[in-house]
Amino acid sequence: MGKFFKVALMGTAVALFAWGCSKEKPETDPQPKTAEAPVDSSLNLEALIADTLSADSLARLEAERLEAERARLEEMINRIMVEDVYFDYDRSDLTENAKRLLAQVAEILVNETRFIVTVEGHTDARGTEDYNISLGARRSTVVRDFLIAYGVDGNRLMSVSYGKERPKVLGSDESAYSKNRRAHFRVSIANNE
Amino acid sequence: MNKIKLLFVFAALMLAAPTFAAIDTIAVDVGISVFQTMPIGIVPFEEEGKIKWTSEAPHLILARDANLSGRFEAVPSDKFDLVLFSKKRARQYVTGNATKLSNGKIKLDCFLYAAETKDLLLGESYTVKPYDVRQAVHSFFDKVVYRLFGERGVATTKLAYVSKIDGMKQVMISDYDGFSRRQITRDSSINMMPVWQKGNKGLVYVNFRKQRPNLYAITFGGKETPLFTQYKQTFSPAVNPKTGELLFSVTDGAKTEIYRGDIKTGSAQKFLHLQSNQVSPSWSPFASEVLFTSDRGGSPQVYAVGKDGSDVRRITYMGHYNERASWSPEGDRIVYTSMDDGKMNIYTCALDGTDIIQLTSNAGNNEHPSWSPDGKLIAFASDRGGNYQIYIMRKDGSGVTRITNGTENTSPTWSWFFDEKK
Repeated sequence: MGKFFKVALMGTAVALFAWGCSKEKPETDPQPKTAEAPVDSSLNLEALIADTLSADSLARLEAERLEAERARLEEMINRIMVEDVYFDYDRSDLTENAKRLLAQVAEILVNETRFIVTVEGHTDARGTEDYNISLGARRSTVVRDFLIAYGVDGNRLMSVSYGKERPKVLGSDESAYSKNRRAHFRVSIANNE
Repeated sequence: MNKIKLLFVFAALMLAAPTFAAIDTIAVDVGISVFQTMPIGIVPFEEEGKIKWTSEAPHLILARDANLSGRFEAVPSDKFDLVLFSKKRARQYVTGNATKLSNGKIKLDCFLYAAETKDLLLGESYTVKPYDVRQAVHSFFDKVVYRLFGERGVATTKLAYVSKIDGMKQVMISDYDGFSRRQITRDSSINMMPVWQKGNKGLVYVNFRKQRPNLYAITFGGKETPLFTQYKQTFSPAVNPKTGELLFSVTDGAKTEIYRGDIKTGSAQKFLHLQSNQVSPSWSPFASEVLFTSDRGGSPQVYAVGKDGSDVRRITYMGHYNERASWSPEGDRIVYTSMDDGKMNIYTCALDGTDIIQLTSNAGNNEHPSWSPDGKLIAFASDRGGNYQIYIMRKDGSGVTRITNGTENTSPTWSWFFDEKK
């Protein structure tokens, strides 16, 4: 239900991103400014250096702005994909609920090919650090495999295990444990043009 | 010779670290000891000039070493008291002289006497900076152990462990008794699973700065190097006690397997060719066999295998979760962690999995057991006091003593002996 809204929101986000890029494109070109300096015949070295510097810093500012824009979008998308995939105790097979959620996530990823997703596998606090890293790896891989089977390009899907090191909820009862046995999505946007 | 050199390296490191944190150790006794401990008299040192001890007076350090050692029971006395020593069956006693020198150093003359005859059995002299008194007294205590048992003691050994500092897991080292703590890692990701390199030159541990578990090696006073970067996710390091070679787990997709690799060259190859997932490798004392955990039977259980990867045999059958086994340095027992009803506890068993003894019970979670290099003691982490702290117990589960306090401390790993011979 809320997913529709989220997809819509994401559509807006993507549009925003596209608009941001197209609007700023002409201004990013530093050529005209650097070209001005050699026109001056008196070969003012200081001015030349100053100009080059300002062109550099302009380019840097622009890069920073784009980076900030990208970071903002990434944050927004990560908020959209905030829902985690939950698992039963010491299990790495997908529940029916998990499959339903993953189908929605897969839909988003198939349509928006710029997203790069890291699937983090997590476990609850019970058991050893070592075994839980291997359990988290099985969880993250099961989720990744499901998304690939749904048609998402595997090159855009990474999987990693955090074992029991990054609990979402602190506590030592089933309500905390059940929220920590999860696969979590970390989304970034491909850095190419 | 080598030992002295290493001790000095450590002394220098400790000096460089500004934070000296004395910890109150609190003894919590559970279980009944089957150990035969030897009573030993402990008499305060004669002091020439008023001496302000940095942490504790020498006789208190000796008493703690004696009680922690699993070999002795301290019989403290304000002065030589043959009646008391006889009553308590203390046939030997330790004492000494302490002199403050004009250059600020302290001269410690330490003695082991036979109580009855007052014969001098052992005498050692140390001239040290005030900060190094603990180290000198630990050295003397290990000489006492050697004189009376013909075996090396662990008073000069160290622990590596993980402390939560500002919410981040950091790798620490300290003396085996929890004193002289020093922080080894200082980055803002997760640091965990520290183990000692051969010869105690440094540590190998896991760090998450690349958003995934990776092994790193660090040399004390030196730099950190990433290990086995050909693999994406690496953890569960175990150092070969003979060659220094590393066994570790590699995760690729859903599969986690054990590899063996050379820290110096970075080359590695698969150690076990099994269908199952494998974690937590551990070498036998002479590196002839390896313990590991596998889920091949549907639940994590402990298995043993030859050093060439052949002849896999299952060790544990009781329960549904047996993990992190390690071989006693004495060679005859295995310690491991077992989960029952969601609680972790520490057990030992014989090499064929029989003769199971539960060492901890009814005291929160107890996990990550690590043998002392003499095989007499086991360090472990427990949340019995509310949050996770590190404890030492004898190998039969008696004499449980907390050696850390403050925020969470976990994953203790005992160093090797500092005078590794040959």
